[in-house]
Amino acid sequence: MFDELWSDVRYRMRALLRRDSVERELSDEVRFHLERETEKYERMGLSHHDAARRAALAFGGVERAKEASRDNRGTVLLETILQDVRYAIRGLRSKPAFTTGVVLTLGLGIGANAAMFGIVDRLLFRPPPYLRDASTTHRVYESQTEPGGATRTEHNTQFARYLDFKRWTHDFSSIAAFQTRTVAVGEATEARERPVTVASASYFDFFDARPVLGRFFTAQEDSVPVGTPVVVLGYAFWQTEFGGRTDVIGKTIRVDRGLTTIIGVAPDGFTGMSDQGVPALYMPITAYAWGFRGRDYSKNYNWGWLELIVRRKPGVSLTDATADLNNAYRRSVLAESELGHQKLDLDATKPKASLFPVQLGRGPQAGQEAKVVVWIGGVAFIVLLVACANVANLLLSRAVKRRREIALRLALGVSRGRLIRQLLTESLVLAAFGGIVGLAAAQWGGAALRALFLPDEPAGVVTDARTLGVALLATLGAALLTGIVPAIAASRSDLARALAAGARDAGAARSRTRTVLLVFQAALSVVLLVGAGLFVRSLQNVRGMRLGYDVGPLAVVSVNLRGAKLSPAETHALGSRLVETARGIPGVSLVTPVASVPFWSNEGRGLFVEGIDSVRKLGRFILQAGDTNYFRTVGTRILRGRGFAASDGPIAPPVVVVGDGMAKLLWPGQDPIGKCIHISEQDAPCTTVVGVAEEMRMRALDDAREHTYYLPMTQYDAAPSDIFVRVSGDAADYSGAIRRALQPLMPGAAYVNVRPLRELVDPRMRGWQFGATMFLAFGGLALALAAIGLYSVIAYGVAQRQKELGVRIALGASRGSVVRLVVGGGVRMVVIGIAIGGIIALWASRWLGTLLFNESPKDPVVYAAVAGVLVVVAVVATALPALGAARLDPNTALRAE
Amino acid sequence: MDDRLDLPQGTLDLLILKALSLTAMHGWAISERINQVSRATLQIPQGSLYPALHRLERRGWIRAEWGASDNNRKAKFYELTRAGRKQLDAESDAWARLTEAVALVLDMT
Repeated sequence: MFDELWSDVRYRMRALLRRDSVERELSDEVRFHLERETEKYERMGLSHHDAARRAALAFGGVERAKEASRDNRGTVLLETILQDVRYAIRGLRSKPAFTTGVVLTLGLGIGANAAMFGIVDRLLFRPPPYLRDASTTHRVYESQTEPGGATRTEHNTQFARYLDFKRWTHDFSSIAAFQTRTVAVGEATEARERPVTVASASYFDFFDARPVLGRFFTAQEDSVPVGTPVVVLGYAFWQTEFGGRTDVIGKTIRVDRGLTTIIGVAPDGFTGMSDQGVPALYMPITAYAWGFRGRDYSKNYNWGWLELIVRRKPGVSLTDATADLNNAYRRSVLAESELGHQKLDLDATKPKASLFPVQLGRGPQAGQEAKVVVWIGGVAFIVLLVACANVANLLLSRAVKRRREIALRLALGVSRGRLIRQLLTESLVLAAFGGIVGLAAAQWGGAALRALFLPDEPAGVVTDARTLGVALLATLGAALLTGIVPAIAASRSDLARALAAGARDAGAARSRTRTVLLVFQAALSVVLLVGAGLFVRSLQNVRGMRLGYDVGPLAVVSVNLRGAKLSPAETHALGSRLVETARGIPGVSLVTPVASVPFWSNEGRGLFVEGIDSVRKLGRFILQAGDTNYFRTVGTRILRGRGFAASDGPIAPPVVVVGDGMAKLLWPGQDPIGKCIHISEQDAPCTTVVGVAEEMRMRALDDAREHTYYLPMTQYDAAPSDIFVRVSGDAADYSGAIRRALQPLMPGAAYVNVRPLRELVDPRMRGWQFGATMFLAFGGLALALAAIGLYSVIAYGVAQRQKELGVRIALGASRGSVVRLVVGGGVRMVVIGIAIGGIIALWASRWLGTLLFNESPKDPVVYAAVAGVLVVVAVVATALPALGAARLDPNTALRAE
Repeated sequence: MDDRLDLPQGTLDLLILKALSLTAMHGWAISERINQVSRATLQIPQGSLYPALHRLERRGWIRAEWGASDNNRKAKFYELTRAGRKQLDAESDAWARLTEAVALVLDMT
């Protein structure tokens, strides 16, 4: 059977590629046959002429025989397709403006989809590289119900919990704990902070990766509690820092405080489960935890810093596995409560463990960005539809112009099927070119998009097989959508009427189709622009929001002691020295040590207030501490009372400045000045409220339950965590100078890290920024396409109605009324589109609600604005051809054909 | 010419394969041979020979080669391949069984 197939293919290839020689052979063969047959009859006594005739008769139709032979070659379909393609290209080349317009339109639509798919794919579909069997691998999330009713879901958990899961579950073939941390790698001045993945030895069981050099660490090297200080190098790190040398095995490298031994190198492209940059090293979790925390870490439940992945045993369903996990989780929570001697109410807290797919974008904590990205993917698809509608309209107009040519071909015997195929080939060729342009645009624009959306992802090929596949699908879809309607419409032309009438005659049915397409485009544009408007307003709200501190001029200075052991007195002295030195740096205006840094680290203490049962239930209270010029340094406004004074020393009566939201919450309707709060314990001495200040956004931009209160650093019971430096100007310009000034003060291998506060805050706004930018961009694109479509349809309509308009003008209609007539027709279509689009937008926007900020998805201002924009655009797009119509000379119009 | 029989569908291939099973021939020779052997009973429009030959060549049952005919002119010679020989056996077998069955049915009273 395969031989048959193979000779079939070989034969067809030859027939295709060496067509001319195959044709010649056929002619020769037939000629030979006729010659011999003629000779046969000649030998029987006939004249040459009669013999030839007899031979021809006996043979049958020569051309028919040749044609049948050609059919039997099996290349007919392919040959006609090639013929169609050549014909289509010729036709398109003769109309360069039309072709360019269509190719660009489709290119933008296809390119947008290809680019967005790449990103959506990464976030939602594609599992980490080398992961074996992603469908049975899950991330573990824990949730508990907090006092107050809200459910909190976390994917960070404790090492002790990890051990409990290993002990008490039986439905999983592997469980691994891991985390990616930024750790100082290298010696002294060459130390750089790099992402390091610390993981249990079972981590590598989840992947099909084989070390390029050496080996991965084993369970023995990952033994609780100490572990062995070994590391596996990441491939890129190995290349850049060690030049890819094969003698790295056995060498040592300093990670954080301790020396570790290199035992292997991971393969190229392996990033583990990391979604925070490409790890430089992989280290056993026990070795890291021991170095960082000390002996206790495996016994208590205080330090929740790990993520867990599990693999179900084959044959175990997701529900069974989840049940198994929950059993173990409940036992673990009970063990935790016994350890802490806390009363635990399982019914109230409802602890629950759940299994989610491996991609973070599909978990319960899929960031806002992930959701926005998915929406934008949908938007790109809509843009493609709008582009296709446009192109379909253009192709339809063109088909109408070619009515005569098509009718002629039908009359000459071309079957309708062949004709449809030929017209479809044309749109396929257009779509193919559009696809190529689109892929180029996706490559270029996609790189920019990835830098925006996935800045932590390792840079890879933007267009890979799956994206190419999607681009191909989009191309084919575009070709079909744009080509099918004009092709069928064209092939149905009434022959006689088409041949007799001019190219001007347009069937009523056809212009109805065009109207429908136009209304469709207008509606889609409305939907996109409404989305854009909603996001823009959200962004404005976000930007205009008072964060409670100034972002631009603040830099955050963090100290990393790297194991240098300092006594509390030495630490205090170092802190003071740093603050003093920082004050002296040119360009620095104010400096304060702080306890909490927005979106980075928060401090909290138990709070007790007279008359309130449980302060904890009312919200989350974040502690901030600073020295006397804290409020001026950070830019937090004092609303009532005072800030910190020099008199608020360590032995002076404890004072606090509360946030205004906190004041309203704890003492509604009363003056908070003079009231007491008790910090950490019920019977702690009264900390008197001396002032009310703005609250700082510390953990989320829009959490109404988050409050802040401020203590003087001298009365704060712990050491400051970081230092805020205020510069005159933008903090980014001064980071280097600050670091250079402060680094010399650090003992040993310790170092300072200086970051502008903007780096911590801006990522929080990214989601809305993207939404606004992308919706605006795509919405604008869709609108432009719709406007072009509207313009071409109206212009065509005017050309069609030349006679009618000429008659009107000749009969005395004013030019103005003609313009009004044409514009009115166009605007009417758009208004219907606006209505339909508005309804769709209202319906769809309810899902958008969670992504907006202080913005209702039914905001009437946005809808009104969008409707207004569309009407204006419609008027402009129709005005141009309408003015042309008004300038018609009735004589020429009436005579025109 | 009137008492020539029309060829039933699909048997042309069988005849060509059989003709070629004895020796390699060019298209005209195949036509003559079938004519001769069937004592001029079978009416094959000679033109239909060539599509059939091309089809058989495509399926790999016969192989074509240009050579010199007996009067030294260039002609395209066909010969049976091994796969073709197997196909011939299979088809003759099927044909024999078919005609036997039909004869049995016609003989029943």
